[in-house]
Amino acid sequence: MTVAGLSGAGSRALGDRLAGPALLACTVVAVGTLVAVVGVLGVETGRFLTQVSPVRFVTEVDWLPVAEEPRFGVLPLLAATAQIAVGAAVFGVPFGLMTAIYLEHYAGARAERVLTAATALLAGVPTVVYGYFALNFVTPAIRGRWPGTEAFNALSACLTVGLMILPTVVVLSRSALKSVPPALMEAGLALGAGRGRVVARVLVPAASGGIVAAVFLAMARAVGETMIVTLAAGNQAQLTWSPLEGLRTLTAFIAQSSLGDAPTGTLQYGAFFAVSAVLLVVCWGLQASGRFLASRGRGATAR
Amino acid sequence: MNAPSTRTEAPPVLAAEDLSVRFGPKTALTGVTLPVARGRVVSIIGPSASGKTTLLRAFNRLNELTPGVVTTGTVRFNGVDIHDEGVDPVEVRRRVGMVFQQATLFPKSVFDNVAFGPRASGYAGDLQELAEEVLTAVDLWSGAAGDLDAPALTLSAGQQQRLCIARTLALKPEVLLLDEPTSALDPAATARIESLIHALKRDYTVVLATHGRRQAARLSDMTAYLAGGELVEYGPTESLFTNPRDPRTESYLTGRIP
Repeated sequence: MTVAGLSGAGSRALGDRLAGPALLACTVVAVGTLVAVVGVLGVETGRFLTQVSPVRFVTEVDWLPVAEEPRFGVLPLLAATAQIAVGAAVFGVPFGLMTAIYLEHYAGARAERVLTAATALLAGVPTVVYGYFALNFVTPAIRGRWPGTEAFNALSACLTVGLMILPTVVVLSRSALKSVPPALMEAGLALGAGRGRVVARVLVPAASGGIVAAVFLAMARAVGETMIVTLAAGNQAQLTWSPLEGLRTLTAFIAQSSLGDAPTGTLQYGAFFAVSAVLLVVCWGLQASGRFLASRGRGATAR
Repeated sequence: MNAPSTRTEAPPVLAAEDLSVRFGPKTALTGVTLPVARGRVVSIIGPSASGKTTLLRAFNRLNELTPGVVTTGTVRFNGVDIHDEGVDPVEVRRRVGMVFQQATLFPKSVFDNVAFGPRASGYAGDLQELAEEVLTAVDLWSGAAGDLDAPALTLSAGQQQRLCIARTLALKPEVLLLDEPTSALDPAATARIESLIHALKRDYTVVLATHGRRQAARLSDMTAYLAGGELVEYGPTESLFTNPRDPRTESYLTGRIP
């Protein structure tokens, strides 16, 4: 081969040289946006906390941003968010986990295909549709059972958000179950155990790290959920544990303040950023815990 | 008892009769007839993909876990067709124990691994005593695994495989199926497993699938040579190795077939 025969590489090299920087530029846009969001939240939250003491922000139990003597205690919002996240997990996790176990270890090829597709469809339902469903079907059903229930109530939101996070639980716990070597199923059966016993005593425990991670990540989704909780649970900031009363989550407050009622520079405007910052911290905390547990879970089963 | 007895020995504890297995369009075994006499060590030798593992897995009905498998012919355990309607595969697997090529320990403690089988079958005796007994049998009681609470996966590869054998012994099976139990181990660990198999002869019937011709010669009373899913030759180990009747067996034993 002559040298000339090799010279074609020159024109290709230009494309290669440009590809890296071009892709980097795209990455910078994404990361830059994240940095900007965090930066703005940080600055505005900082300004807000110079006017409202951080201690009062996290300890006061009244959230009355537009009252004559406004109060900015974030606890009712935080408690409401926790209530929705935990409630949704209570409903969503058992069904999601059982579905994942069924699909992974019991379903035939056809059932698995159909149900996997159905789960994907569930994940594709816009949350406003879920919210509408909650308001028009779930809430009336609850009020039929417990007539004293408020029109906006936490239970309806928990049930519906539980349905919304179901696909997340299914997909993530399935991948946790998949990461357990299939040879363990055979080994268990070869030791004279039934399928159910092997699943319950060996395979699910071996995947437990990943399953707990799935729960955390699903709860992070529930924490960030806005449309369903606003439509189903309303927007009343009150510190209550009754699932039959309405409440206002962090997200519901943010959605409401985003409507633009609050003039720039006012305390109420600042509260929007402070609450957003709290929401971000909670979501990231849950996601980080989930990832940490997932990686630790993999360590335990890795061979 | 209607099991055919090919020799003057006692009736076989385990027997394949005209056994064929295919996975979808792929044939794995064709018309294999192989009786295993009680108290013997039977080696199944043959090249890769010759059907050794499929034959072993037919003996405890593990093949049926694979979708698309079709099994014809008969497998008898103590004279009973294990595919009979009234036969529970779980019960078959308790009495015909199996150890796999790769150690398949559960990510649990040494004790929980040993106790898994007995617990599943509702063992009424003392699990601690049973654990000591089977761990002693595989020479793990005094070693690292003597710590029953240690995670099983922290043991060395050789120890893991011996623990797998102990876990199967805890079922008190009548037959032990060993599927190339040393193929993933170094020579020293292999030697320990081999002396263990030698000791197990006293109490168990052993069916050993192995890639190692010399391992088969060292350990077994009877040897079967399998090629392309067919049983080429089956006979006493010594005569099969010194005086094979089939030219294909001879080519394999002399290393002309890898």
